[in-house]
Amino acid sequence: MTAEIEHPISQQRFYRYHDVIGLLSAAGPGFSGPVSVITGPDGNLWVANRANPNQPEAVRITRCTKDGDFIEHFGEWGEEPGQFTWVTSIAFSPEGELFLADENTHRITVFDSNNDYVRCFGKHGNGPSEFDRPSGLAFAPDGSLYVVDTLNHRVQALTSSGEFKSQWGSFGDGEGQFNMPWGIAIDSADNVYITDWRNDRVQKFDASGKFLLAFGSSGDAEGQFNRPNGIAVDSEGDIYVCDWMNDRVQIFDQAGSLKDVLIGHSGMSKWGRTFLDANPEIERKLALAVQNIEIKERFYRPVSVHVDSAGKVFVADCYRHRVQIYQKL
Amino acid sequence: MPETDKPLLAHLFRRAGFGATFQELDRYSQIGYEAAVDELLHPEQQPPIEEDVLERYYIDWKESRNIEGALTESVYRMNAYAGKRPLQEKVALFWHQVFATGLAKVLHEKTMLNQIDLFRQHGLGNFRDLLVNLAKDPAMIFWLDNNFNQKDALNENWGRELLELFSMGVGMDGQENYSEEDVKNAARAFTGWTIDDDNVASIPFGKTPWLFRYVPEDHDEDEKTFMGHTGNFNGEDIIDIIVQQPATARFLSRHLYNFFVADEPQVAAWQRTTPGNLDAIKILEKEYFRSGYDLRSMLSVLFNSDFFKSDQARFAKVKSPAEVVVGTLHLLGDFQFPKRGIFEVALGCRYMGQDLLNPPSVEGWHTGEEWIDSGSLVERVNFVADQVSDIHQPGVRSMVDELLGRAAELDPVTIIDGCLELLGHVRLHDKNKDHLAGEVRCMLEQRSSLTAGSPEDQQAAERTVLHTMKMIGSSREYQFA
Repeated sequence: MTAEIEHPISQQRFYRYHDVIGLLSAAGPGFSGPVSVITGPDGNLWVANRANPNQPEAVRITRCTKDGDFIEHFGEWGEEPGQFTWVTSIAFSPEGELFLADENTHRITVFDSNNDYVRCFGKHGNGPSEFDRPSGLAFAPDGSLYVVDTLNHRVQALTSSGEFKSQWGSFGDGEGQFNMPWGIAIDSADNVYITDWRNDRVQKFDASGKFLLAFGSSGDAEGQFNRPNGIAVDSEGDIYVCDWMNDRVQIFDQAGSLKDVLIGHSGMSKWGRTFLDANPEIERKLALAVQNIEIKERFYRPVSVHVDSAGKVFVADCYRHRVQIYQKL
Repeated sequence: MPETDKPLLAHLFRRAGFGATFQELDRYSQIGYEAAVDELLHPEQQPPIEEDVLERYYIDWKESRNIEGALTESVYRMNAYAGKRPLQEKVALFWHQVFATGLAKVLHEKTMLNQIDLFRQHGLGNFRDLLVNLAKDPAMIFWLDNNFNQKDALNENWGRELLELFSMGVGMDGQENYSEEDVKNAARAFTGWTIDDDNVASIPFGKTPWLFRYVPEDHDEDEKTFMGHTGNFNGEDIIDIIVQQPATARFLSRHLYNFFVADEPQVAAWQRTTPGNLDAIKILEKEYFRSGYDLRSMLSVLFNSDFFKSDQARFAKVKSPAEVVVGTLHLLGDFQFPKRGIFEVALGCRYMGQDLLNPPSVEGWHTGEEWIDSGSLVERVNFVADQVSDIHQPGVRSMVDELLGRAAELDPVTIIDGCLELLGHVRLHDKNKDHLAGEVRCMLEQRSSLTAGSPEDQQAAERTVLHTMKMIGSSREYQFA
């Protein structure tokens, strides 16, 4: 009889580590610096890989099942329409088109359900529908696209074809002001949550951009942040924040009070297992790093968090080239 | 009365940093030479670069996974610190040259970058502490096989290079500095100094850091005799004895002089060649012992010395490729905020013959005139000429505006002298200056006047200044620090 593996539980026991998907790879099964993870209309995971300019073929979108079966990858490195270089995030529109933010070209690129290029919009600037390093993307239920316009320190609401609707935010640390905001999430009531990256806080707004709430401050104590980026809200209203340089994901209630903390408990992924089975010498060498065993399990610069309708929490563990998965209990 | 001579300050910053812009020279001339030296020697008092922003945009750098990424990060940091903590970066480059370790073998980019960080942190501190940290540095341990140095299977590689290349040198004044027995006993003292992990695999989840580990059961606990001292020595005891040696003072002083003052013969020749300026070396040796092996003190003496400040020392060194690339970037004010393109610029170092983080051997790069061959010279000239004539670069824009704002009349002498000054008080030989003056005169004579403020005149003036800067950047003289 095989003993059942008891998966680790989070600090406050609201989450259980479930699985990991990943393998450092520039092609096929694997990721290279994943910066955005979402569920697609097909129910599968879509992961954007930032990679690096020395390995342009690794800059791509990977699609896989939530059980870690590779489906496909696509994307082309470059600055021409349809290509991308510094991908920051991806999001699906209600119509099922995939939108991708590229903070090098200051553009949003749109792909159809066949992964074919459809259109792009945006250019470098600070006017309406212009961007200076766009990062987080999110769609409101009414189909409006919200773009976090990082170096313009604002959020823009656009139509799905890129026409300007509204904006809010300016540089600063007051209510409704930002310092290089990064991530965005929208809850079922249309409230908008922004990770105000260099102010080390989360701000909540209504759909019109009216300030509602802020929480967090600089530091590494519970409830504090060191450059928060990825953010998600689940169906119960709990708010998940990638506390990037503290290498953890913090979960808050609607009032901004801390509920739980995830630190990463990665085991071996299916893709990794396949690789090591074929390369036993590497597995033997990996085991020699006795001082690194715990390090290998933990998050290392988590960038993106996504919660699906089943309460599974997917964390893009960027520097470990994997997506760690927790189950909400 | 503080010394405010700008050409002297420019000399200081070419050697102790990567050059200075005309605005920086204005500022330093206000506080004076000695205060500028003091500021250079205390980089910790200057603000650090914004690591979060760096990591935010260069996401791939934190765990650099290939040599190009590591090279790019090194160049970016040198440039970012060139205006804030130039000596910290220059000293890191110095130690990288002396303690040459390379990715050709280490194959772990982050571990190599950690070694450069070690040089940033300890490169201006106590030489004894620096050597102890170096002996525990995972990249160095792997580079020189000390992870295979066990009490029952001695590997002398680290022990030998510690003496030969990192502290005493083979010999001085024609004499041997140590014996083969000393090498063997030094190696024995470092048995058990190893690293946690010898894996180089990045799969499945990226590389994890190599960490120093002391394994007592692998350490040779028997008595050893080293440089006339006998005892049950461990590695730190060996370093304690090394730093007391006159040969170490000589070797270190000669390295500092070679890097910061004037090109010496290649290191391999030092046993049988007298230093070019023995008096200067003696001054540095004396400070080494007086200060208790303190590198900051030695450099303070060096930068404030007559032999450093002398006219003879100026433009007497061939710039290293890193100095060419970073010095030019600093002048341009480019890459002050992360953006794409630094990778392509950083590769310039490699094309000019200095593949940072990947020296050709444990002896480092051959320096001085050996930097130059026909291929690398073309790379140098093209790199500088292209960059300093790009009006879109903020530093070029400000130099042009400064020069055009100074004089109502633009004659060749005004233009050339102004460009030479703004590019860092560069000196041209008279013959080359005459030749350039003729060319500028030709450009001016194509127009009736460059004194009025019409847009056409402004554009013509800009073109003339940019062309002059390009010609100066292409000159032989610009390749000297």
